[in-house]
Amino acid sequence: MTSNKATRSAGQAGQATPSRLSRIKARSPVWLSQLGLLVTFMLAWQYLPQIPALKAMGHLFDPYFVSSPQRIARELYNLGTGNENSPLIWAYIWSTVYAALLGTTIGMVLGAASGLILSNFRFLSEVMRPFIIGMNAVPRIALVPIIVIVFGPTATSCVIISVLVVFFVAFFNAYEGGSSVREELVQNARLLGADEWHILKCIRLPFVMAWTLASLPLSVTFAVITVVTAEILTGVPGMGSLLGTAAVTGNSALTFSVVITLCVVGIAITLAADAIRARVLHWWGH
Amino acid sequence: MRASGAAPAMAGSSNLLSVDNVSFAYPGGTQVLDQMSIAVPTGSITGIVGPSGCGKSTLLALLAGLLHPDTGSIEWSDDTAQPPRHPLTMMFQKDTLLPWLTVEDNVGLHFRISKSRLGKGEQKDRISELIHLAGMHGAERKFPYQLSGGMRRRTAFLASVAAHPRTLLLDEPFSALDEPTRIGIHQDIFNIVKREGITVLLITHDLGEAISLSDQVMILTSQPASVYKRFDIPFGTNRNFLQLRENPKFLELYGHVWEQLAVQIQLSRANTAHRPTNDL
Repeated sequence: MTSNKATRSAGQAGQATPSRLSRIKARSPVWLSQLGLLVTFMLAWQYLPQIPALKAMGHLFDPYFVSSPQRIARELYNLGTGNENSPLIWAYIWSTVYAALLGTTIGMVLGAASGLILSNFRFLSEVMRPFIIGMNAVPRIALVPIIVIVFGPTATSCVIISVLVVFFVAFFNAYEGGSSVREELVQNARLLGADEWHILKCIRLPFVMAWTLASLPLSVTFAVITVVTAEILTGVPGMGSLLGTAAVTGNSALTFSVVITLCVVGIAITLAADAIRARVLHWWGH
Repeated sequence: MRASGAAPAMAGSSNLLSVDNVSFAYPGGTQVLDQMSIAVPTGSITGIVGPSGCGKSTLLALLAGLLHPDTGSIEWSDDTAQPPRHPLTMMFQKDTLLPWLTVEDNVGLHFRISKSRLGKGEQKDRISELIHLAGMHGAERKFPYQLSGGMRRRTAFLASVAAHPRTLLLDEPFSALDEPTRIGIHQDIFNIVKREGITVLLITHDLGEAISLSDQVMILTSQPASVYKRFDIPFGTNRNFLQLRENPKFLELYGHVWEQLAVQIQLSRANTAHRPTNDL
């Protein structure tokens, strides 16, 4: 009853409030359960390996291998502040994120342009089809050694590899978008006086851009994964190279710290990409 | 039937369009049009009805230049207007609004994608004038997904009128709307088209729509199509579409034309009885 009253008085104060409040109320069992699950997991991670019988069973319950929330929290604190001679994580995060964003941008622009051209020119698309399918089937990580030989173990190499990954994601979306333009739209534009160039620019290009942008959250996630992998393989400074260091020095707390940081960064980037997509493509999907 | 009353808006009876003995078959071999002849007076509205699948849309595609006749000729009179008008636009049965453009930008699509004689200011004035005429003021900044079905059709209509074309082809443009919405749109479309002096060819399944909007109605035979009967519609350039439907003259004419249309529908059903069909 009291909560009902609160809702009503809040409703008089502002229009948006009651719906938000009732939404929070409806969602809270879910949130509480999620929190409970997280706490249970943390407690198990922290205290199960302290039971000697379990510890004797193998690596899975040995803090040397699986670390513990407490150690990871201290490691994260040190990485964030430079305490105890720890390296600062911020520069590493930045170089990884920077390479991933740059790779995403270049890959999406190239993918969109190729998708636009191939969807507009049927003959070209038929000629190119087997090559594109073949190239898409190549595992991009297999190309890392060649790229490193050509460009050296540099940030450039990481960007190029992420471009290779993002390009195909963006390209297939862009091509699909360019091909989805209905014949009536083109005929209508032509009857309104459009030439081929205007049809490409004013009708097909917006479809291509919309479909490409729709792949932004996926593309940027792929780019982060690829850059981290490339950093592990090349030792270029970044989150990947930190993981490499952690593995070599047997520092499992560092490994988990980097993984958790990457999770947070990944969530932040995906949310931002989703927001951009929803904002620009507000007319999409109705 | 009645010889007078057609195209009273224009002096004289010069024809904008003459279709002479046009035949057309698709590459597959189906003969769609057979020796079709149509004369369309300048500034008139011509309603074309016929059994389902008789080739009405093919006729429009031929007129729009999207297809070419096998034999016969399609001739347009010379454009004597100064400055010359945009030759032809078409309102499609399917939605052609661009979802990322607002109503006013969709209406002004012609200005975006082709060179226009109008300056930016004149273009804006024309767009907002048309939006007002169609009773859509206030919706200028809305996107297609925010519009009702009727509003979307109005926007598509305005987009094809903004170019100030000599000819407008309407391909069953209102078939998806409910009747009250449809009749409201009829009124606006009729007024705008007559005001702009646009010659209209309307393809429709709805005989009431054809008779209430048109200056002449043609019934096509079932496939291969040719003109079966032609009727002059004597309702002039000032029409009230709500009252028209209860007008005894309208009802009488409707019955008379329907009789002839029914003949063709029956023939069409007899012809297609042996293969599955989803119409009527």
